[in-house]
Amino acid sequence: MKKKLIAILLSAVTALSMIGCGGSDAPAAEGDGAESLGGSVEGELSIAIWDEGQRPGLQKIVDEWSEQSGVKATIQVVDWNNYWTLLEAGATGGELPDVFWMHSNVAQKYMENDLLLDLTDKIASSDKIDMNNYYEGIVNLYQSDGKQYAIPKDIDTIALWYNKTIFDEMGVAYPDDTWTWDDFADAAAKLTNDEHWGFALAPGNNQEGYYNTIYSMGGYVISDDKKTSGMDDPNSIKAVKLFTDMIAAGSCPDLATVSETDPNELLCAGKTAMAINGSWMLAGYRDNEYAAANCDIAVLPYTNTPDDRVSIYNGLGWAAAANGKNTDAAWSLIEYLGSKEGQTKQAENGVTMSAYIGTSDAWVNSVDFFNLQAYMDMLDATLVFRPYSRDTTVWEDMMIEKLQDAWTGDVPVDEVCKNIADEMNAALAEE
Amino acid sequence: MKKTVSNFIMYFVLIVVSVTMIVPFLWMFLTAFKTVSETMQVDPFVIVPKVWQVQNFSNVIKAMDFVRLYANTIGMIVLRILFAVLTASLSGYAFARLNFKGKNVMFGLVLFQMMIPVQIFIIPQYVMVSNLHLTNSIMGLVFPGIVSAFGTFLLRQAFMQLPKDLEEAARLDGCNIPQTFMYIMAPLTRSAMVALGIFTAVFAYKDLMWPMIVCPDNRATTLASALAKMNGQYQQKYPELMMAALISCVPMIILYIIFQKQFIEGIATSGGKL
Amino acid sequence: MKRTTARQKSEFFWGWIFILPTMLGLIVLNIYPMIDTIKQSFCKIGDFGKGSQFVGLDNYKKVLGDSEVWQALWNTIKYAIIEVPFSVVIALLLAVLLNKKIKGRSVFRTIFFLPMVVAPAAIAMVWKWLYNSNFGLINNIFHVNVNWISNPKLAIFSLAIIGIWSVIGYNMVLFLAGLQEVPKDYYEAAALDGANGFNQLIHITVPLISPTIFFVLVTRIIGAMQVFDLIYMMIDLNNPAWKKTESLVYLFYKYSFEQNKKGYGATVVVVLLVVIMILTVIQLIGQKKWVHYE
Repeated sequence: MKKKLIAILLSAVTALSMIGCGGSDAPAAEGDGAESLGGSVEGELSIAIWDEGQRPGLQKIVDEWSEQSGVKATIQVVDWNNYWTLLEAGATGGELPDVFWMHSNVAQKYMENDLLLDLTDKIASSDKIDMNNYYEGIVNLYQSDGKQYAIPKDIDTIALWYNKTIFDEMGVAYPDDTWTWDDFADAAAKLTNDEHWGFALAPGNNQEGYYNTIYSMGGYVISDDKKTSGMDDPNSIKAVKLFTDMIAAGSCPDLATVSETDPNELLCAGKTAMAINGSWMLAGYRDNEYAAANCDIAVLPYTNTPDDRVSIYNGLGWAAAANGKNTDAAWSLIEYLGSKEGQTKQAENGVTMSAYIGTSDAWVNSVDFFNLQAYMDMLDATLVFRPYSRDTTVWEDMMIEKLQDAWTGDVPVDEVCKNIADEMNAALAEE
Repeated sequence: MKKTVSNFIMYFVLIVVSVTMIVPFLWMFLTAFKTVSETMQVDPFVIVPKVWQVQNFSNVIKAMDFVRLYANTIGMIVLRILFAVLTASLSGYAFARLNFKGKNVMFGLVLFQMMIPVQIFIIPQYVMVSNLHLTNSIMGLVFPGIVSAFGTFLLRQAFMQLPKDLEEAARLDGCNIPQTFMYIMAPLTRSAMVALGIFTAVFAYKDLMWPMIVCPDNRATTLASALAKMNGQYQQKYPELMMAALISCVPMIILYIIFQKQFIEGIATSGGKL
Repeated sequence: MKRTTARQKSEFFWGWIFILPTMLGLIVLNIYPMIDTIKQSFCKIGDFGKGSQFVGLDNYKKVLGDSEVWQALWNTIKYAIIEVPFSVVIALLLAVLLNKKIKGRSVFRTIFFLPMVVAPAAIAMVWKWLYNSNFGLINNIFHVNVNWISNPKLAIFSLAIIGIWSVIGYNMVLFLAGLQEVPKDYYEAAALDGANGFNQLIHITVPLISPTIFFVLVTRIIGAMQVFDLIYMMIDLNNPAWKKTESLVYLFYKYSFEQNKKGYGATVVVVLLVVIMILTVIQLIGQKKWVHYE
């Protein structure tokens, strides 16, 4: 009986295999049909972002749009590293998400290759979007050949996070707008003991780290024409040295520690008294009980005069796939997200500061236990756009790798920085 | 006396190794129910959570659609097994029991494939999948596993071990080749098929690079790749990360414990004969 | 005479029909992609796979002078040198112990095999936390301060330990299967001659299951040379051990998918192919000296 059953099964699968082999294009045709169907009838939009902390707040806004438009849309979160890998794979294969975040690091490359939906005409005929309402640097970032490829989503600045409890315990006054970077380093030394460090920074903390001091001290990362590196500028070297000296002095954890446990995690565990971070990190700290109870925010220090208080700033853009299945719906969603209403809600929900000028005040009040005003104040400091070129990741990753030697002290900082500048120049020449 | 000493040593070794194997799982379990602060507390070092944070479970379940991930993973595994067993038993039989021109060259190709690192295929395979519009679909996940060189090899070995007279008898009874294969020979290689099924399942389940590339959408991907992507996202929430890892492996472990006999014997069958 | 021809004809026909699905699959899924990748290794590929440009041997010349590739090759070999012998020897010893009729045999067997059914991402996550130098279980239980995965000299070994941990059970099960075919009377004769357990292992067990050992070695070396998941999950750009742990496959992934240098990525994976081929051929030649088929 059992044998017979197996025999029947096997003959069935053998027969199937013959059919499957002869008609191998049948399933493909079916797939095509299903897809064109998916575009018009089902019409669900896919949205890709990389920050889990922003997902719940954004999904709320997207849901409101869905109620109006009747089109469903779901947000997918993929972490920063994989996001670009996957977006690139999708672009190569012609399958981008319908709506997604764009970033200064790669925007140029995506725009030049016509992968993003050209929004210029749609903006012109829209009553909700006027590009003059957004911070100019972010608007320009997503322009190529006079066309606009993304609507600014947010603006971010950098500020100093500190642990009030550790400051109290060590008898150090909280950071304020009178601090210079030297005061900062002195305070970090005073805040260090067996239990915790004064400050923590990893080689990967560029935008929320040494980029700020580089510009504050008069150095630069990349020239305005994106052709040469400024990492070998004496001021840039000095700015990196500020941190490596702290590591050497022990007020900042060694490379091994920060590579295993991120400076954010150290702050949230009471292991460091200070950390520098971007406004986009709010959700992470807000939802962390320890940080909520013990931490607060101050503006970044300056170098010589308050005029050289620098914040690197950046802004993401909402972009759509040029070959998306439902570009009308995608535009409608982007239009809503970029409108005054959408931008205000983003701020109110505490997602991020908004790119629409004047809508971010609500963000400051979205959390009452942190002094979010510090981030707003940084908008009035000297704003420097996050350094980028056509293929930013290549030299940025290289820089992070090379800075490790400076962190460990194996190679003197000036040598490391010169090295970086050489390789970066070579990479820029190849772009 | 000597016997007791050697017995003692033997159990000591076995138990030490067992503890080493289990501790990581235990740690995963304990960490999954801690608060973030507890995971980073050193003095005193926290082993068992003070209050079991059951909400970690609901948080993770909310953020990740495990049912769907499981469905994708199981769907991929089942289809891969079906394809592999089917094609491999046909070709394994032909290579083992039939004589035809070109056989050796073709079998050489099979052996050759087994030696090549799979990464060499990935980009062209990805391009094919995206041209077929199969990215973010189960068929996309299954794609590279439609045929199995390893399976062909395994089943060829199994068919070779069957006695010659079986076939002779079948031929005398008037069976043609497909009939001999279907009714006489194939049913006798069941254990090798089970072995191939298990191998296919384990390797498909553990594969990371392919699903990550071909199914970037979290709704369409496998457990392994969704989990890998979570790694970067939950930096500050180690307990939730561990909870996700736990949820992803508990059902597999339960399945394995229930079927462990078939599982281990399946793999053993193949190993013994290679 | 005529009858045999009919039979031959039929075998030819059905033989090809039977292998057709597999061969078609292999050609479409493996042979063509392999040729394509080798072709790509002679090209420079533009943004998003567009505009590939033939550059001849440039990529290969670059590989020869690229210290990162050589370092990655060395890292990969180091990983394999640790992972393969240890996982094979430990697994063999465990298999010998469990081959006896002892209490709890199936429980031990089940436990040792456990890591095989867990997703690599989960394994990497929990080990990353076990290894953490500040908050990890290992350092806190043994009161040591070792940077397991961030000390450049140590990290690759720490990764290999996870590799061994993951694969012991699998190797052991294969050895157990091999051992079951060893006739019991060999041991009885040896025991009469006064051979102790260790001597029995070296002089009887190992030669008798040498085909299984050979199979495990070949497949494990191929597997270890392709190590990727663990490194991908555990080591990031901030890690000082980055350069000393990066494997060839990781480098391939980095160039092909993260930095969009698909041509150079293809070259790296062709190098890996050559290395694996060489290792496998060496083993195939070497086996004649020590593998005994009955």
